[in-house]
Amino acid sequence: MTNDLRKPGLSRRDVLSTAAVATGALVVGFWMPQRAAAKEINSAGTTANAAWAVDPAVDEINAWVVVAPDDTVTIRIAQTELGQGVWTSNAMMVCEELQCDWSKVRPQYASANRDGQEMAPAWTLDVMGKGATDPLGGGEPEFGGRNRTGITGIPNSLYRRMRTNAAASVRDGRYYLQLAGAEARERLLLAAAKAWGVPVEEVRSANSVITHQPTGRTTTYGQVAALAAQTPHPNPERIRIKPPSEWTLMGTEQKNLDVPLKVTGKTIYGIDVRLPGMKWAAVRSCPVYGGTVKSYDFERIRNQPGVISAIAFPIPDPALIRDRTFSGGVAVIADSWYQAKTAVDQLPIEWNVPPKNAAFNTANMRATLMSAMDKPGKVRVNLGDCDRAFASGARIVEATYSTPYLPRARMEPGNATVLVTDDRVDIWIGDQSPQETRFSAAKITGIPEQNVYLHMCHLGGGFGRNGNGPQAEQAIYIANQNRGTPIHLLWTREEDFINTTYRAMGVARLRAALDADGWPIAIEVRTAMDETAPGATACFDKVSCYYAPSYRFSTHTAAFHVPVGTRRGVGQPAHEFYRESFLDELAHAAGRDPYLYRRELISRTNLPYRADMIKALDTAAEMSGWGTPLPRGKARAIALEERGAEGGGHATISAVVHTVSISRQGEVRLERVDIAHEEGFGLVNPLSVRKQLEGQIVWFYNDAMHQECNVTEGRIAENNFDTFPLSRINEDPPEINISFFKTGHWLNGMGHDRGTSVQSGIADAVFQVTGKRYRDLPLRNHDLRWS
Amino acid sequence: MAIELTVNGVRHSVDVAPQTPLLWVIRDHLGLTGTKFSCGIAQCGACTLHIDGRPVRSCSFPVSAAAGKAVTTIEGLSPDGTHPVQLAWIDLDVPQCGYCQSGMIMSVAALLAKRPNPTDAEIDAEITNACRCSSYHRVRKAIRQAAAAMPAAGRAL
Repeated sequence: MTNDLRKPGLSRRDVLSTAAVATGALVVGFWMPQRAAAKEINSAGTTANAAWAVDPAVDEINAWVVVAPDDTVTIRIAQTELGQGVWTSNAMMVCEELQCDWSKVRPQYASANRDGQEMAPAWTLDVMGKGATDPLGGGEPEFGGRNRTGITGIPNSLYRRMRTNAAASVRDGRYYLQLAGAEARERLLLAAAKAWGVPVEEVRSANSVITHQPTGRTTTYGQVAALAAQTPHPNPERIRIKPPSEWTLMGTEQKNLDVPLKVTGKTIYGIDVRLPGMKWAAVRSCPVYGGTVKSYDFERIRNQPGVISAIAFPIPDPALIRDRTFSGGVAVIADSWYQAKTAVDQLPIEWNVPPKNAAFNTANMRATLMSAMDKPGKVRVNLGDCDRAFASGARIVEATYSTPYLPRARMEPGNATVLVTDDRVDIWIGDQSPQETRFSAAKITGIPEQNVYLHMCHLGGGFGRNGNGPQAEQAIYIANQNRGTPIHLLWTREEDFINTTYRAMGVARLRAALDADGWPIAIEVRTAMDETAPGATACFDKVSCYYAPSYRFSTHTAAFHVPVGTRRGVGQPAHEFYRESFLDELAHAAGRDPYLYRRELISRTNLPYRADMIKALDTAAEMSGWGTPLPRGKARAIALEERGAEGGGHATISAVVHTVSISRQGEVRLERVDIAHEEGFGLVNPLSVRKQLEGQIVWFYNDAMHQECNVTEGRIAENNFDTFPLSRINEDPPEINISFFKTGHWLNGMGHDRGTSVQSGIADAVFQVTGKRYRDLPLRNHDLRWS
Repeated sequence: MAIELTVNGVRHSVDVAPQTPLLWVIRDHLGLTGTKFSCGIAQCGACTLHIDGRPVRSCSFPVSAAAGKAVTTIEGLSPDGTHPVQLAWIDLDVPQCGYCQSGMIMSVAALLAKRPNPTDAEIDAEITNACRCSSYHRVRKAIRQAAAAMPAAGRAL
């Protein structure tokens, strides 16, 4: 029997949810202006009566969970969906504990505005358990700064870390998302017990149904949700989270909840936002970073169709964007974007260009980096006695590698829609850091943060939180100059290339002294890149993960003008190319098998996860048929991919074998990829992990073969997909095999620096087939023919 | 200047400059935002739609050239999102960020209409849409699955 325990009356959100479910839509709670609702911006440009202007009052169980009377469960998502599957995986972590019916879960973006005003419950602030190697605990999240600007760490504010970066949504968010689901479950059980007048110990729940065990009576979450919302937990600090051994939903392959929207064109990305009275802005930024507008001649475009106005904007305040200096520019505002873009294309603009910046080009920048490696640099690690080993007369192997500037080139060009009125800012945006954008909006407009509202949209690709550039800051500035009018800023592809941060150009010189058997007695690593580049110490920072009795690592820097940031990894992708390429060169110099050479050098270390690394190598080698003959023109290469394996905390470890063919005409084909990948204590959604691996293989194939950005007279030379190639389906490897294995720690993350080994793998295969060793990427710059 | 267009079976008259790319008329005048802008130079294919059943990169296709022709966008590929290509895409969880997928799906639907059981070489030659998340591995599998499902679904494309 089912008892109707819900309190009378539907809340407004219940109605919204029910309506959306009835139409089969998954868009419940996109805090997007449904087009009709947004018509409520009144003629004065104020928003007071617009449906999206107030968060509808709902009976939430806690800030993360709303259960409607029909059992629909809305789960708030504080990260941004950009293809990594976070809408699904975050919801799975809450649902696992909530024990609700997964088919009734609807994700909804969490409110950055509320996050700016409310704090998370004190009992959720600190992680439980014994760190990264405790399966019962919450892992070892990186708390860092706890203030609510959200620039780093996990704030104590309501929705905690709202950034989407560092492949950390599971690592940093799992414990408090599981707690949120568990607390909601406990309160639903308490509510049912209270309504029935029975001890809570006698009620259980599964799949949104609550059962009183002694009598078999049942009710549903929806029926008791309103009561649960009024029922605090008496001692929430005693709530525990389920370890992997108790998971029933986490760890299973779940299709991503938003895919039905994505195959019908219904997903709302930032570019798709439409508001009544909205005007469009197309911009032209100074192509040399640090440049500003000297003058422009609006009269030349004033009478163009649809053109309304133009304004110059300054260099976005570097303090708001991690000290990156982009450019000033001009925005043309028009009725439609194409009109604005056509006009800005014809607008005469004179620039103030810093001469120092205009003097940079790829060749002189690379030369600067090379010479920086000849100077002392900053010594990060110095174990043993490298000088003595290198002077001992042992055989020396030395190699210098280089990698270019690389942009993310996400498919959706930068955009944001902003409405500034005298007391409020509304921003519709796909954004990887809404807490920072909230802060930016307040700084630029002078309107307090509590009056800043972000309406989050899906992102058409992300690949690095700070890579979105100043899309929000530009749009807020322009809208602030046009108060009362919603302004939709949209970059052209070419503007997107100017306004992104780049993975820094880098060089590395690796040297080893080998003993008579070919084993290193010393390894020395020098790297050089821009002084502001993140990830300078990645891969090399504690010890050499391939053993050498003496090891020295120093970083060297130069000051350039191109804004640099993360890009599907933080230092790791380039550094793994250097390290694994060099290991291949050492193995060849020693006349030893590159797989067994790696295996031996890892087994000689005392690294905490060396057994996992060896397991990965052994598994990948076995999967690939390592050692079996290949026809002429084909070769296999193996590499280790690891993040954090030297530290003993969170880590992500895999080994990959690439089977590559190179035709006599020099055409490269990645034929087959065999991946042995750890799953740590458990993966949340293995399907999303597989997709991440498949995608990152091709991502780094592009880096290996095709992609680079050069600097010419201070400008980025390649700025669209004609000169910056993206691989297509014809270059996708026909065979990708993935094997997971369990290890004894929580994973670092899956969203980046998986698949980095494609770079060293193809380069070494080219060497094996052609005899030619190329140490600078991309390989398309080289003659790969052989006879 | 008024231009007559038929989009997803509905006739429209739009007053735009004739050289305006069809993409912007579809997105901004007709409000159909499923078709995406990415490169603006007909490279990436995110803006792919059908004109008289053939795939066209609408970012570089003047609206005047579509006058009097039948334009189909992702919104009109099937009335209820159940075109075999869409179903295969859901079943294999193809999209990641999804931004390129409208164009990808339109290219694949056009290919399968022309070649119901394409070879790998035909797929390589015809499906030239770019996906930055690199969903290609699943795209190829889903093309196979959709091709296998099409006769059973018994639908004309």
